[in-house]
Amino acid sequence: MTGRCLYEKDLRPLKYNILTSTKHDATVRAIANRLGVSDAKLRRLLIQRLDMSLLENIETRWEMGLRYADDGDPLAKELGCELFSRFIPLLDQERMKEIYEETRALAQEIPFEGAIVRGKALIREAILS
Amino acid sequence: MSILQSIKNAVRSRSIHVSYIDVGSCNGCDIEVLACLAPRYDIEQYGIYVHNNPREADVLLVIGSVTPQWEDKLRNIWEKIPAPKAAIAIGNCPISGCVYARKGSLTTPPVKNYIPIAAEVPGCPPRPTEILSAILSVAPLIFKDYEEKQS
Amino acid sequence: MKKTVDVSIPLGPMHPCWKEPVRLKCETAGERVLHTEVELGYMKKGIERIMRGRPWQEVMFLAERVCGICSVVHNMVFIEAMELISDIAVPPRAAYLRVVANELDRVASHILANFSYCYTIEHETLAMYLLNTRERVLDNLERLTGSRINTAYMIPGGVRFDLLPEDAATMLADLAKVEEELKRYVQIFESGPLIGLRSRGIGYMSREDAIRAHTVGPTARASGVEDCDLRLRHPTYRALGFEQVTRTEGDNFARVMLRFQEVFQSIDLIRKCVDTLPAGHIRGGGLCRAGEVSYSGEAPRGELTYTIKTDDFGRVLDIAIRTPSIMNIEACAHYMVVNATSIADVTSTFISSDPCIACNER
Ligand code: SF4
Repeated sequence: MTGRCLYEKDLRPLKYNILTSTKHDATVRAIANRLGVSDAKLRRLLIQRLDMSLLENIETRWEMGLRYADDGDPLAKELGCELFSRFIPLLDQERMKEIYEETRALAQEIPFEGAIVRGKALIREAILS
Repeated sequence: MSILQSIKNAVRSRSIHVSYIDVGSCNGCDIEVLACLAPRYDIEQYGIYVHNNPREADVLLVIGSVTPQWEDKLRNIWEKIPAPKAAIAIGNCPISGCVYARKGSLTTPPVKNYIPIAAEVPGCPPRPTEILSAILSVAPLIFKDYEEKQS
Repeated sequence: MKKTVDVSIPLGPMHPCWKEPVRLKCETAGERVLHTEVELGYMKKGIERIMRGRPWQEVMFLAERVCGICSVVHNMVFIEAMELISDIAVPPRAAYLRVVANELDRVASHILANFSYCYTIEHETLAMYLLNTRERVLDNLERLTGSRINTAYMIPGGVRFDLLPEDAATMLADLAKVEEELKRYVQIFESGPLIGLRSRGIGYMSREDAIRAHTVGPTARASGVEDCDLRLRHPTYRALGFEQVTRTEGDNFARVMLRFQEVFQSIDLIRKCVDTLPAGHIRGGGLCRAGEVSYSGEAPRGELTYTIKTDDFGRVLDIAIRTPSIMNIEACAHYMVVNATSIADVTSTFISSDPCIACNER
């Protein structure tokens, strides 16, 4: 980015400012906890992938995601399929679908809990990559 | 004074194009500027036209204390306005930062650090009539005999 | 997550239709909008950071200056949250006067929102009519509170000024005029064929999307979400017999019409308040104490939540403000605007959700 450009600006510090608010910070910690990644890493990812209005709204999105995402499908709910692809769009929907299919195949062979753990690891990998 | 200059003076005093720019305010001054458009104050009977386009403006109304995004852009917008031009600070925000000039704030007032300000209208927010009279009293001072003062 | 696009069209930050600076980046294929990105930060003043560690007497004025358009409700929600923390009772007369001030503010705000919409679809005549009507409402707000925009009318345990009988009479007469004028404008808006072409069926949002995106206020009510008006839970409004207005179309037209309907309803509420105004004090007493509370109220744009933590001297230790525009702008940019058939509809749809950037960023 050239310094003389009128409109394009490095937005990262501004996005970070948004996440420092009390509620936003708590939400980021909750998401990091659920995903099993560190707060700082998740914050970096959020800043890279989401736009500013989504970041402002992250608290509501998270609440609504917990309430409405993947109703009626225990496996998808445990993995957080819609939660992390629609409500907090960290992953695109195709990749999420692949992981979901993979985990469902696994769940036929090994016990449910084991499959969930493996599925969650896959999601973490995909998000961090 | 040449004839050309006197014609220019006469025309300019009845045709002031205004653009307003919000550099981080509470919106209060914004809507007071907007209220000037209402038929009750009828800004256009004085020959003032509000476009939100800096390239065809003569007077820039600056509202708000400066937020990080505007620090560089404010100057750029000021440079885009063709001369002769004037900037008027509306409200306490651009003058002192109003309530936002406290510890922990992200803003960096005053606006006069960034662009030259010709007039200030204090108030939180000022009334539409005050804004109107500020524009009307500043514009002729700046624009009168502009070409002759230059040479 | 990049899609192939024809062009990326930036709108803003200075745009003739927008009152405040915000930037929308629309990725389009032909004229069809595929994806929008909102760039904020033009109004980020860090008001929550300023509020921290300050006494409530200061935070009260800061809270109003979160947003100038709906300043009364910010004041009201903050003060009611403080009253909840410290168990301060409000005299009945003051509670009614609060409703009057709040509804006057709501009328002004709704008319302003509809003005912006008419201005955006280039119906300047109607826009100017509306703006003129708004002045009359602001006059009454000034008569009651002493100021047009940032009023600081409410304080813990009451309100600052009483409504004198002669002022009340003038107010009612004025409001009758406002109602009469608005009836005409609503008729213009409803029956204008070109307005219909620009508004009906554009920017549609379904009820499911509205619930999932947690839109609030008129935006949600125009999509048919029931029971989303927090005035239904407010004791004074309940006593006044408040009922929610809902429409089911979910397009730009519905959102604007819903605001018009709410204006009429607010005028009725004010009338009822003034007619049944209880006698008595307007200021009780009380001491602000330590505590923690999360309190919501209905702003003109929807649900407004203050989460406050105070210490023994009434200082605000921690505060988080969730304004309605946060949800509405986000839903508008990611649900309504997507699949808009032309770029011209993007601005009008965005404005129809009544975005308030100053609220959004605080
Ligand atoms: S001067 Fe007051 S009313 Fe005007 S923008 Fe600043 S805080 Fe808002």
